[in-house]
Amino acid sequence: MPAVGTNVPRKDSTEKVTGTARYVDDLVFPGMLHARTIRSTIPRGRIRDVRLSFDRAGFTIIDHRDVTGRNVVALIEDDQPLLAEREIRHVAEPILLLAHEDLDTLRRARVDIDYEPLEPLFDPTRSTQLLKDLRIVKGDVEQALAGAEVVVEGEYRTGHQEQLYIEPNGVIAVPENGGVTVHGSLQCPFYVHKALRIALGLPDDRIRVVQTETGGGFGGKEEYPSVIAAHAALLALKAKRPVKLIYDRLEDMLATTKRHPSIVRHRTGVTRDGRLVAMDIEVLMDGGAYVTLSPVVLSRGAIHAAGPYRCDHVRIEARAVGTNTPPNGAFRGFGAPQTQFAVEVQMERIAEALSMDPARLRELNALRPGDTTATGQRVEADCSALQVLQQAVERSDFHGKRERYAGTNRGIGLSLFFHGAGFTGSGEVKLASRAALCTTERGVRILVGSAEIGQGTRTMHAQIVADSLGIPYEDVETGLPDTSNVPDSGPTVASRTCMVVGGILQRCASDLRERIGDMHPREHFTKHGATVVTKEYEPPHGIAWDDDTYRGDAYATYAWACDVAEVEMDPDTYEIRPIHFTAVQDIGKAIHPVLVAGQIEGGTAQGIGYALIEEVVMREGAMANAQMTNYLVPTTLDTPTMDVVIVETPSHHGPFGAKGVGEMPIDGPAPAIVNAIRHLGLDIRQIPATPERIAEAACVSA
Amino acid sequence: MLRLPRFTYHEPTTVGEAVRLFTEAMPDVAYVAGGTDLYPNMKRRQQTPATVIALHRIPELRAIAGTPESGMTIGACVTLTELAAHEAVRLRYPAVSHAAHVVSTPILRNMGTIGGNLLLDTRCNYYDQNYEWRKAINFCMKRDGEICWVAPSSPRCWAVQSSDGVPVAVALGADVTVTSVRGTRRLPAAGLYRNDGIQYLEKGPDELLVAYHLPPVRDGDWRATYRKLRRRDAFDFPVLGVAARVDFARDGSVSAARIVLGAVASYPQEISAAADAIIGTRLDEGAIGAAADAAYRPAKPMDNTDFTLAWRKEMVRVHVQRALQDIRAQNT
Repeated sequence: MPAVGTNVPRKDSTEKVTGTARYVDDLVFPGMLHARTIRSTIPRGRIRDVRLSFDRAGFTIIDHRDVTGRNVVALIEDDQPLLAEREIRHVAEPILLLAHEDLDTLRRARVDIDYEPLEPLFDPTRSTQLLKDLRIVKGDVEQALAGAEVVVEGEYRTGHQEQLYIEPNGVIAVPENGGVTVHGSLQCPFYVHKALRIALGLPDDRIRVVQTETGGGFGGKEEYPSVIAAHAALLALKAKRPVKLIYDRLEDMLATTKRHPSIVRHRTGVTRDGRLVAMDIEVLMDGGAYVTLSPVVLSRGAIHAAGPYRCDHVRIEARAVGTNTPPNGAFRGFGAPQTQFAVEVQMERIAEALSMDPARLRELNALRPGDTTATGQRVEADCSALQVLQQAVERSDFHGKRERYAGTNRGIGLSLFFHGAGFTGSGEVKLASRAALCTTERGVRILVGSAEIGQGTRTMHAQIVADSLGIPYEDVETGLPDTSNVPDSGPTVASRTCMVVGGILQRCASDLRERIGDMHPREHFTKHGATVVTKEYEPPHGIAWDDDTYRGDAYATYAWACDVAEVEMDPDTYEIRPIHFTAVQDIGKAIHPVLVAGQIEGGTAQGIGYALIEEVVMREGAMANAQMTNYLVPTTLDTPTMDVVIVETPSHHGPFGAKGVGEMPIDGPAPAIVNAIRHLGLDIRQIPATPERIAEAACVSA
Repeated sequence: MLRLPRFTYHEPTTVGEAVRLFTEAMPDVAYVAGGTDLYPNMKRRQQTPATVIALHRIPELRAIAGTPESGMTIGACVTLTELAAHEAVRLRYPAVSHAAHVVSTPILRNMGTIGGNLLLDTRCNYYDQNYEWRKAINFCMKRDGEICWVAPSSPRCWAVQSSDGVPVAVALGADVTVTSVRGTRRLPAAGLYRNDGIQYLEKGPDELLVAYHLPPVRDGDWRATYRKLRRRDAFDFPVLGVAARVDFARDGSVSAARIVLGAVASYPQEISAAADAIIGTRLDEGAIGAAADAAYRPAKPMDNTDFTLAWRKEMVRVHVQRALQDIRAQNT
């Protein structure tokens, strides 16, 4: 019986349900020390003096001078120090590390730091520190705008968003084998491996990174574990003892990355009958104090900024700038939720300007197979923007409800969106990911660097391998990645784990099948011992991308979706309650339908939080509501009933036709909800759309 | 992970033993019932008693006695889940049941008690933070510091009364019984609270709240309700609570009323002008509007909880109006 397309039990279910799965804070090593990070309390300035006002007996203490390799967090640029030397660029910047075997003693240790404060900058529109800029040009926007019958302009703003994984960041570093092993809650073991090599100045084979069971990531454990792992490793190597460094919720929220706030401006030319003729788009993202992943977040954001629409003249100018807040970074959606919020609210306003039905406007302009995107990519037969739109409109009774709700306290709105699967542009080629299969006495074992972070990596990979080999799902073994025994499959990000890594695994399986003939791998193992097949990513034919001009095939393929949100507004308090949600999402193939629906429901709930209640309050560059009692995310009682429809238009790029599903669900809810609020007559262009903001908008429009 | 500080722990089985142990350990001692308020506060070092006396093994504190006609007595250690589900309470004191039901989440209501709810520590954005956070702002006057960050020139603490049960208890005219080695006294719930974020209770620290007395209710002689404002439908403390009790004369007119606001001051704030606006009326829209206006004027939310100030103040009007409309609907 095939495993793909069925709801097999998760590979990690028994351990997680029975409570035997071990997370990083469950692990204890003999002689282990606990660690603490001393951080800056000002947003910008210079360190004048650091005084240790405690008895140092039993302490291991590290500052920037103890960094044995290079004092940088190795990501895209090397601008961020692991430990501040003199200059402070944001609140909660790490300055000093302490370790001690007794947590209470550790916590009591007092460190006084004198600063020479400098004027901080928090407004990205005033920033002169350019982290990255890029330009996407198609056709001649100025000329097309000049000739357009109607021009609609608008500015849209989105705030920070906190990933709020259940398990905060944490690692344990253990000195062994002349080097160090780091066990931790993370998404990208080989990112951490590289960062450690550079920070510690050790050769590859002295560093080992092992993922522990991970309580959620959402991008928040993409780059930050490189920082915390290097900190723990430096302490462990100096102390010659294992060191555990676990953040509590406050520290995690204050110090680690968030979603980039954005300001997006649109100037759109349309014909009176609703055809897009020109889209002029400016994207500004606030990167915070260091570059981290801002260039690639900006890149994905910019590529998605024109939405899933056909338009011959497009200009997208995108900039990420520096400010004095903690660096922003990876978060599910990776720039696309910001820019697609803007374009989808802009589309709604265009429909209003033309007195046109919003679904009809999108129908006219949605990309069809053979059309080209803003970067000039010709979309293939799996482009189903029109189908998901029509299905969502029908299924939600969009037109009927739009009429029936008019004049009541209910509104209905939709969003049409897409999401590129895999790394942007030439990213996958540069990564050159590898995956492997190894025969075992049970069957076959999957060897990948991809991390299970709750989304179902192990299960989904095992399904792909089982069917590709023609063996039962139960005969496929999976495990936690350990850099000492799995190949580098690239990071667990960018909705790539199924399409890209799953695709490599499928090729491993067919190669293995050729080698072992008709035998069950178990049988082959018994007769011939372990056989290992390793494969590397092969760029699909006919895919071309130019990094300099931002032209070409930005992604191998895209997933397509349409969300319809129905909301009810309290006419006196302006509180918005989502009452029903329809999500029609084409992800190529649902390898595991229940897990896919879970991704869509979870991403939708997180998107509803982004739209309505999740607000990071920044005061003097620090998150003022850094705890779960006042940074609020939706509970089940705040989440509406969801009608999730999985559409399967296969892509020839992914295993069994699958694309990516992890991120796309968070792109659509915010514009769908804001458009539903627009249906109530309220002009909202900024999220979160809190009752206070809506009340303000109501005063203006009254 | 936030950890509890070390403390000595007692589990007495009678009230007498509990108060004796408390007196012996004074002043650095606290009672704990469900622990849903105290233990997180201890983890954040807002309270650091050297001795903690647990009340959950005292059977007499877990009883519900009496009848609606004669009044009911709720033991202080009755959990919020038990109180919300208790049949007589649910049917005859729906405001009490509802206020218990909207506290936090099912898991916390399974542990949290009505006694703890009535004595809930006042809350503030500058106080309900962990030790490191509070240290970074040099603490506030409610614990370890000198100044009130909500109103830095103020000599007092502005932490907010944040219990759902408290405004209801005051609006109903309920009583409580407190006891200590010094004796036992019964007092009106209204007399239990003070408008001060630090000294928010009018009782000695040694006085243990043992019982909550609901006043008699006969068919239709009075009605009460509770409305809670917050951003989500679970977890959150009230950003505004409105409790109202309205007594009706035989002819259906309002003979007496009490309207109490929660989460706008350090104590449950009774707005007698709002009550005056409906006495003698039949809760027509005009009277309700006048009461809502009367409640809106003196309500002065401070910048120490969720939502912006202007919106919260505006919500006082809306929720008082809706509370009274709700009572009118109950009465028809």
